[in-house]
Amino acid sequence: MEKKRVVVGGWFDLPRLGPEVWSTLVRKQGVVYDKSTGFKFDAGTDLQGAVRTLRSAGVEVELTLKCWICGKMACPGCPYLSSCDRASVSGFCLCADHSPEKSVWGAYTRRFDVDLKS
Amino acid sequence: MWSEKYRPERPDQLIGNEEARLALTVWLSTWKPGTKAALLMGPPGTGKTTCVNLLARANGMNLVDLNASDVRTKDKLQRRMGEAMATVSLFGERSLIFLDEVDGLAGRADIGAVEFIKESVKESQNPIVMAANDPDSDEIKKLSSACVPFRFRPPPPREVEMYLREVARGEGIKVGEEELRGYVVDAAGDVRQAINLLQGSQQASPGEGDSRGRYKDRDRSASEALNGFFGAADKEEAMASLRALSMSPFEKVRELHRSIVKSGLPAPEMAKALEAVSRADVLIGKMMKGGEWRLLRYLDRIFVEELYPVVKGAAVKYSGQDDLPFPVLARVWNDSKKIREVSLRYAAKAHTSGMSARSQDIPYVFALCSKKKFREELEHLLNLDSDPDVLESYDKFLTKEAAR
Repeated sequence: MEKKRVVVGGWFDLPRLGPEVWSTLVRKQGVVYDKSTGFKFDAGTDLQGAVRTLRSAGVEVELTLKCWICGKMACPGCPYLSSCDRASVSGFCLCADHSPEKSVWGAYTRRFDVDLKS
Repeated sequence: MWSEKYRPERPDQLIGNEEARLALTVWLSTWKPGTKAALLMGPPGTGKTTCVNLLARANGMNLVDLNASDVRTKDKLQRRMGEAMATVSLFGERSLIFLDEVDGLAGRADIGAVEFIKESVKESQNPIVMAANDPDSDEIKKLSSACVPFRFRPPPPREVEMYLREVARGEGIKVGEEELRGYVVDAAGDVRQAINLLQGSQQASPGEGDSRGRYKDRDRSASEALNGFFGAADKEEAMASLRALSMSPFEKVRELHRSIVKSGLPAPEMAKALEAVSRADVLIGKMMKGGEWRLLRYLDRIFVEELYPVVKGAAVKYSGQDDLPFPVLARVWNDSKKIREVSLRYAAKAHTSGMSARSQDIPYVFALCSKKKFREELEHLLNLDSDPDVLESYDKFLTKEAAR
């Protein structure tokens, strides 16, 4: 089985898996597809379903979340790594630089307004 | 309750589902008549309803909140939604129409409701937001062409920890790192539950900063919360204990039932207590059958209003996860097996479902069995007279019922 690390919210490519798998992923499970950039899991994606579909097609997906505040990879070194089911939680998290101990609440809420304005 | 005190007041103060919240905010700000409706999908407790409430407030919109489980027919929907859809205030202010639990529209009573909603989306002068727990239901599939989907999921643990730290900071308390992470893991993405666990720990031992590991063990947590409920000084404390209980509704009913049956309460109190638990069980059944997830909010209320006054001061204790004594278990199994058997036979003759027969008809049928003629006719009709085993059980059951 091919292993693939996928960043939620980032573009990734897949080997050719056939029209049925493509259709299930894109039409039923809300995976975003662009001919030039590939596939993307976003807020509209049924992540659990997509991971299941890919597994049955021979691709084992390891999901990684991005930091909501700075956009860096959030999962490396996370104390909850073993207990966090990344396919069932929402698509952003907090990285080590913006870990909860560092009183990041203000930065977290501000980010929403910044993104909204942009 | 801290979960109320620290309830978010703006959409940016929610945690998790950042992308969905942003997209929903943009959808609302760019909405014009003819735009597709928003469909929020996700499990209960992920912030769908809160997000809609906060968005309406942030945009100065009047929220017209309807629950599809209550307003199920086309006529009712037309009556309740019709005016809200067509009306814009003199100053151009719009309402936000929120139709919750649209996956609860199922069955014959709802014929036409889904089509009506689809038509309404095209004609409405006000934005329509719908919410559903089960994205795979048939109703959602039918509605999807008229909607923009937004998926809501539980927030990741690190964000829950961030929020808990913010609550702890607001309350001026110090909580150990390991203890805090224990609450985050136990709450499994439910922010309210995490806050309740934190508050419960502080109330259990005021002034004790680091009670590390107290809730690490699930059994121990259940034991503390349930014993806190049974021994609570008042209803408020009983409610706080229940909310700190990290258990599914089914488990809650099972553990309370188990504790009461083993408690040695006098028969009249035991009957009242079990009646309350049975009401809660019926509520869960209704919730699961019709997808009426909003009923979940009444579960703890039933325990506090109906069960707590009965068990208060009665030295009922949490019995632990061990099973009931075999004789009690055997009695419970046998009784339910007998009732099920008789109910199914009755249901076949009465053209009703086994569940309806059991919950609605059978109590009256048993009461009528006090008349000999009726009883004989019923036994014959249900073929109980040709099945000595069932007839014997049924006889015993009736005798017991009559004695009761």
